[in-house]
Amino acid sequence: MTDYSPNIRKLLAISLWGFVLIALVLGYWQIVMAPALNASKYNQRQSLALQRIRPGRVLTKDGVVILAPQRQDGQWKFTYPAGSDFAHLTGYAPRTGLQYGLREPLYGMGQYADAWRDLLAGGPTGNDVILTINSTAQKLAEEELDGRRGAVVALNPRTGATLVLASAPTYDPAEVSSSQEELDLLRFDPNVPELDRAVQGLYPPGSVFKIFTAAVGLDLGLVTPETEFRCAGTERVAHTRVKCRILSGHGTLTLDKALWASCNIAFAKLGDKIGIDNFIEYMKKFHLLDEANVGLPSKKGRMYDFRGFKGDAQLALASFGQGATMLTPLQVARLTAAIANKGHVLQPYIISQVTTPDKRVRMKGQAGDFGQAVKPETAHTLAGMMQDVVEKGTGRVAAIRGVSVAGKTGSAENPQGPAHGWFTCFAPVENPQVVVTVLVEGGESGSESAGPIARKVLEELLETQNR
Amino acid sequence: MRRTIISPGRRSELSLLIFSTFVSVLGMALVCVAMQQMPLRALRVTAVSAGFILTAMLLQVGGKSRDRLLLPCASLLCGIGIVVLWRINPDLASRQILWMLLGLSAMVGIYLLVDDVRDLAPYKYTAGAVALGLLIITMVAGRESHGARLWLGVDGYFMFQPVELAKILMALFLAGYVAEKGDIIRASMRPGVFLSGFKHMGPLLLVVLFFLGVFVAQRDLGAAVLFLGLFVAVSYLATGRKTYALLSLILFAGGMVGAYYLFGHVRQRFDIWINPWADPTGNGYQILQGLFALGSGGLTGVGLGHGFPGTIPAAETDMVYAVIGEEMGLAGTLAVLLLYVLVVARSFDLGMRARNQFASLLATCLGVVFALQTLVITGGVLRLIPLTGITMPFISYGGTSIVVNFIALGLLLAVSRDAVSEETDPKLRDGRTD
Repeated sequence: MTDYSPNIRKLLAISLWGFVLIALVLGYWQIVMAPALNASKYNQRQSLALQRIRPGRVLTKDGVVILAPQRQDGQWKFTYPAGSDFAHLTGYAPRTGLQYGLREPLYGMGQYADAWRDLLAGGPTGNDVILTINSTAQKLAEEELDGRRGAVVALNPRTGATLVLASAPTYDPAEVSSSQEELDLLRFDPNVPELDRAVQGLYPPGSVFKIFTAAVGLDLGLVTPETEFRCAGTERVAHTRVKCRILSGHGTLTLDKALWASCNIAFAKLGDKIGIDNFIEYMKKFHLLDEANVGLPSKKGRMYDFRGFKGDAQLALASFGQGATMLTPLQVARLTAAIANKGHVLQPYIISQVTTPDKRVRMKGQAGDFGQAVKPETAHTLAGMMQDVVEKGTGRVAAIRGVSVAGKTGSAENPQGPAHGWFTCFAPVENPQVVVTVLVEGGESGSESAGPIARKVLEELLETQNR
Repeated sequence: MRRTIISPGRRSELSLLIFSTFVSVLGMALVCVAMQQMPLRALRVTAVSAGFILTAMLLQVGGKSRDRLLLPCASLLCGIGIVVLWRINPDLASRQILWMLLGLSAMVGIYLLVDDVRDLAPYKYTAGAVALGLLIITMVAGRESHGARLWLGVDGYFMFQPVELAKILMALFLAGYVAEKGDIIRASMRPGVFLSGFKHMGPLLLVVLFFLGVFVAQRDLGAAVLFLGLFVAVSYLATGRKTYALLSLILFAGGMVGAYYLFGHVRQRFDIWINPWADPTGNGYQILQGLFALGSGGLTGVGLGHGFPGTIPAAETDMVYAVIGEEMGLAGTLAVLLLYVLVVARSFDLGMRARNQFASLLATCLGVVFALQTLVITGGVLRLIPLTGITMPFISYGGTSIVVNFIALGLLLAVSRDAVSEETDPKLRDGRTD
C-alpha cells in the first residue's frame, strides 16, 4: 500500500506558504499602504462619515432657527426654515455659507467631539450653534435691500458681535438645494446672488474712507477739527489732479466742515500731509485690509502699493477713498466700529455660543483683539465730527429723533457704471451700541440710497438690542 | 512519523464551542448598538452557535471518537460570518442563519448515514458523472445572474449553484480514482521517463480539461482555477512528481492567454487586476473600494458597525474579506486567516493519519478545496491575483456554498471517525477517555 503522507506533508507546506503570503500582503495593504489609500480622492469615506452624524442647528441670538437637520433617505441634511433672508449665512449646500465654516461644531468634530455623549444619544450628534445675528434686523435689512444689489453689516462696537450680515439679491436656499434647475439659475444669474456682498464684495469706499484719513491726521496731531483748508474745486495735489464734489470749490473750510460737506480736495491735502509711511502704519494698526473672521469665505481689502510708482499721487486719491482702494462692507463697518469703540479695533465674530445637545455651553464666542489704533481722544473728536455729518451735513437722512447719530456718506466712483452709495454710522454717540454700514451698488448718492436703509436698521437695532 | 496538531478532547470541544458562542454574541451586540438596533437581536446568532453545540452532541451517537477541532473552528467562522453579514444586511444574515442550520442538519445526516466513509469509494464514477451532468444541465438550462449562467432551479422557489456541489463530488471522484489506481500508477512510473504513468493519469487530465472547458464557457473563472488547482494537487499526490503539475499549469497558462485574447470579460478582469487605477470609478471600482476598506481598517479596524460596506460591490459575497478588514482591521483578517489555516491543516493532518487510502485522499482533497478557495478569494480581494467570483467558506453569503461546506465538514469528521486508528493514535485515545 502506498503511503501518501510525505506528499500530503509537502502539499500542506505549499498551502501554508500561500497563507503566509496572504498574511504579508494583508499587512502591506492594511499597514504600509493605509495612509495612501485613506488619502485617495476616490475614497469616499470622509464625506460618508459626515452623513452619519446628526448635525446641530444654527440659531440667531433671538432664537430663530435658520439651519435645521432633517433625515432624508437615511442621510442627514439641512433644511432652511428661515428662508431667503438668511441665505448667505446658511448657504444651500455642504460647502457653502456657514455650513462649511461651522462644520466642526455642527458635526461635533475636533474639540467638539464627545464619544460618550454620542453613544448615549444613540448615534453621533453635533452641537447647536447660536449666532450673534439679530433676526428682526436681518430680515428688515434684506427687505430694505430688496430689488437692489448691496449689503448691510451691523456690529456691536463694544463687543465686536455681528448683528446683521445681509446681502442682496438673495435666493431661496431650500429651492436651490433641492433642484438642479434652480441651482443653474442661481449660478448664471448676472446679478450674482450667490456672492455674499457683505464679506466678499470689494468696492471703492469713496468718501466713507475719509473717516480713516481724518483719524490718522487727528491722531498724529497734524490737524484739529478747526484746521483750515482751501478748496478751489479742481486742484493739483501731489502731482495729480483732484476734483471736488462742488466744481466751484468750497473755498476756505475747516476739517470739520470738510467732513460733513465731504470735500475731496481738503482730504487729498491732508493725506499728502500725513505721508506714505504714516498712512501705511495706521492701515496696519486698523487692520484695514484684513479679511473677516465670521465663518464665511471672505475677501481681503486692496490698496495701492504707495511705495511703488507715483505713490504720492495714489495716496492723495486714496485719502478720500478713490484710487485703487477696495474694501468690503464688513471692513468699512469694522473701521467705523473702531471709532465708536474709542479707537480700539475688534475683529467681529459671529458665534455667540456652541451648545451641546444636553444644553451645556461648549464654547462662547468673542471678538479678536486687534488693539488700540488711535488714542481715545482722537476717536472722541472724530465721533463729534461724524455727528455733525448727520446733524448738518450730507448724512441728515440718518438723523433719529432723540438719539445722537454719527455717520458718514459715500458715493464711490465706479468705472463700470453709476457710483456706489455708502453710508456708515453708529449711535448713540455718547455710548455707542450699534454700528451700521450700508452699501448700495450703483446707488449714486450715498445719502439717498444707503442712508434711509441705515437709519431704519439702526432704529430697529437700537430698539431690539436694548430689550 | 505521525505527528498531529492540537487534539482537543470532548470537553475542550464544548468549551471552544461556548467560547465561539460568546465571541459571536459579543460581535452581534456591538453591531446592533452601532446600527441602533435592539441589542437583544444579537441573540439571534445563538441559533447557529446552539446548533453547533447540539450537533456536537448528536455526533456522539455511537460513542466513536472523532476530530474535536474542526467544529469549533467552523462555529467561529460561521459566527463571524453572521456578524459581518448582519452588519451589511440583516435580512441576508437571517437567511444565512437558516442556511447554516440546514447545513448543520446535512452534516449530521452525512455523518450518521454514512456508516463508514470507505463505503463511498465505489461511487467515485457516479460522483464524477453527476458533477459533470449537473454542470452541463446548468450550462444548457441554467438561470443567469450577474452575467454568468451558474444557477439551477425554479425562480423564486429554489435555486442552487451546482458548481459548489461539484467541488465535493470532484473531490470524491479524484480520491476514489487515485485510491484505486494509485498503486498501478506508481508501479508504471519509470525514473527519468517523461510523463510515465500517462496511461492512468491521462484520463484524469482529460476529465479535468473537460471541466475547465465548461467553466470557461460559463465564464466561471473562479471554479476553473479551483478545479485546476485540485487536479494539480491530486496529480502530485498520486505520482509524487512535479511533471503533471507543471504540465497542467502550462496548459492552464496557455488557456488563460488564449482566453485573454478570445473573451472580453477575461481580458477585462486581467486589465483591472494589472491597473485598477486606469478606471477607478468604473471597472476598477470594486477592487479599489475593497482596498480602501482594508486601508481604512488599519491594525485594529474602525470597529464593528462603523465601516462603510455600502461602498463595496458584492460586499456580502466576494468582497466580504474587505469588510472584515475595515471593521476588525489586520487583527481580524489575520484571525480569520488563522481559522482557515487550522481547518486546512487539520484536513491534511487527517489525510496523513488515515489508515485507508481513499479516506486519506478524500480528507486531503477536501483540505485542498478549502485551501484553494480561501487563497483564491483572499488573493483576489488583496489584488495578489485577478479577482474571481468565489465564496469564502462559512462566511460569504450563499445557501449552496454554506450547505456544501458543511457536507465537506461532515465528510472530514467521518474520515476522522472511521479511518484514523485510535489504537495507534494516542491523542484520539486520550480524547475518548475524557
